[in-house]
Amino acid sequence: MDIKVGIPRALLYYNFYPAWKVFFNELGAKVILSQKTNKKIVDDGVLNTVDEACLPVKVFFGHVINLKDRGVDYIFVPRIVSVEKRRYLCAKFLGLPDLIRASIRDIPPIIDMEIDLYRGYNRNVDREIDRVGMIFTKDMRKIRKAKEAAIIAQNNYEKHLKSGLIPREAIRIMEGAKVVKAPDSGLLKIGLLGHNYNIMDEYINMDIIKKINDFGGTVITADMLKESDIEYGASCYPKDMFWTYGREMLGAGRYMLDSGIVDGVVIVTAFGCGPDSLIKEMVEKEYKRRNTIPILSLTIDEHTGEAGIITRLEAFMDLLRWKEVV
Amino acid sequence: MKAYLGVDVGSVSTDIALIDEDGEVIDSVYLRTQGQPIKAVQEGMKQIGERIGKNVTICGAGTTGSGRQLAGLIVGADIIKNEITAHAVAATHIVPDVQTILEIGGQDSKIIILRKGIVTDFAMNTVCAAGTGSFLDQQAYRLDIPIEEFGDIALKSTTAVRIAGRCTVFAESDMIHKQQLGYSIADIINGLCEALVRNYLNNIGKGKEILEPILFQGGVAANKGIKAAFERALGKKVIVPKYHGVMGAIGSALLAKEAVEKKGSTDFKGFEVSEMKFETNGFDCDGCANMCEVVEFIQSGIVLARWGDKCNKWTNSIYDKGNTLKRA
Repeated sequence: MDIKVGIPRALLYYNFYPAWKVFFNELGAKVILSQKTNKKIVDDGVLNTVDEACLPVKVFFGHVINLKDRGVDYIFVPRIVSVEKRRYLCAKFLGLPDLIRASIRDIPPIIDMEIDLYRGYNRNVDREIDRVGMIFTKDMRKIRKAKEAAIIAQNNYEKHLKSGLIPREAIRIMEGAKVVKAPDSGLLKIGLLGHNYNIMDEYINMDIIKKINDFGGTVITADMLKESDIEYGASCYPKDMFWTYGREMLGAGRYMLDSGIVDGVVIVTAFGCGPDSLIKEMVEKEYKRRNTIPILSLTIDEHTGEAGIITRLEAFMDLLRWKEVV
Repeated sequence: MKAYLGVDVGSVSTDIALIDEDGEVIDSVYLRTQGQPIKAVQEGMKQIGERIGKNVTICGAGTTGSGRQLAGLIVGADIIKNEITAHAVAATHIVPDVQTILEIGGQDSKIIILRKGIVTDFAMNTVCAAGTGSFLDQQAYRLDIPIEEFGDIALKSTTAVRIAGRCTVFAESDMIHKQQLGYSIADIINGLCEALVRNYLNNIGKGKEILEPILFQGGVAANKGIKAAFERALGKKVIVPKYHGVMGAIGSALLAKEAVEKKGSTDFKGFEVSEMKFETNGFDCDGCANMCEVVEFIQSGIVLARWGDKCNKWTNSIYDKGNTLKRA
């Protein structure tokens, strides 16, 4: 029987799932994904997480609990320190496996693969991947093949995102489904800034992308921009932003402002997020100073009342249209 | 005479305005919602319906405010719009070159920045309702002063008393503390007005360029103490329009006029709605783990609409059957 590895559909799932899935599949394991975020997952997460954690971390906990009862042999909770040279992620990713172990009882063993590319892809990275691979096989060739396949899958995935797909569409295409993008002519172009786990989780953001579409807009995210565009935006600031996703948000925000490729920008942050509290202010400040492209800031938290988001978004879209007419 | 109806259902008040073809206000009603939006809308419709003459025909209706969906179903709205847009539309109609709108309602407060008649920026209070109308209401009740007299009393103040305005819970304990120290009621109320304005400008007005003409609207604009505190804090003149309390409803009526011109006809059900039987019924959907709280809206025994479900299974179950009311 195949070994079953559970992957929580939360946090960096939106950034790396295709690579993770292929890696475990190549090693002969079956991947079980937690369900889409729902009320129970959020409730379970909130109940079992330390109080001061941010909403996305609480949601991650809920997904782990969701997998706990699904008969998986392992749960994949990577310790992601850094995903590119000279830059880090928020400290919560670094401590995630420990947080999970300390807070949730009776869970299947955790695969806490350490991903640390701060010094680039070196021997230590390889050794860590091999360590995880050996849980499944003793065949080193098989592990190397899995590694290579994962990198190819990740590159493909990122190519799909750059072409204008959002993660759920890209993942469906990679799993063989056909996704037809509706033509977006005549729609307002909305730059949607925020961590993927905030802007792509339909439940916690009350399906903001669908709402923007319903109000006659189409979204452009940081993932869809060229790396050189983000680099341009980020380099407008005197100090290098050392958080990978913070830099992405800052760079994308600045690029959208300078290039004018969007009609308006919506920035989504989770209540209580440390890095975002800073990045959001930095992005907003420049938009307010120039006063050329309108920006709307939305804060998400555990509350489920949609009225607040609908009111602000609808008024924002009205504002953009009003501008267009004159 | 042709007229257009606007209904604004807020957390604290329900307002109805009737405008003529030139956008002039014919009549308006300001009622307390008192937690029963359906009843409030029906009562308002009844009052307006009785007051207007036979020669007035309603050619369009619009709704706004946090209860806009519900109100839209009751009256048969041609347009259902958020309150930010409605307020901006009404303000530019009354003062075309308005550059700033300060709006304080029952449970939300907002600032709208306009330049050359176009909304360029807006902000709404986020998680905190400190410094909105319902807090003033609560304090008026505690001090046993009618809310209508609050502002006049504040103007009698001679000494400034500083009240912490960040949070209503702390503001209240601060007020009690000052009152036990022997400060006069007028000074304390004035201190409260200043605290509210300070909090508003710090919280919602943060980073916004507040230029004249400045319009102050919403229920709280009736409070002269707050208006004076705004003028002191900004060092600028603040205009309170005549119909400040029903601006959302006026904006909504103006939007209805525009919508009907485009559409050609109205869905307005008539003033009889004040006699109809409307109910809402809630249930938990057990279709999936989301367990959405679904609300049904029932008119004389027929379910007109359902909402609250994430997957739209219940919402669409009604809209598909020829009901054309769309969510705006």
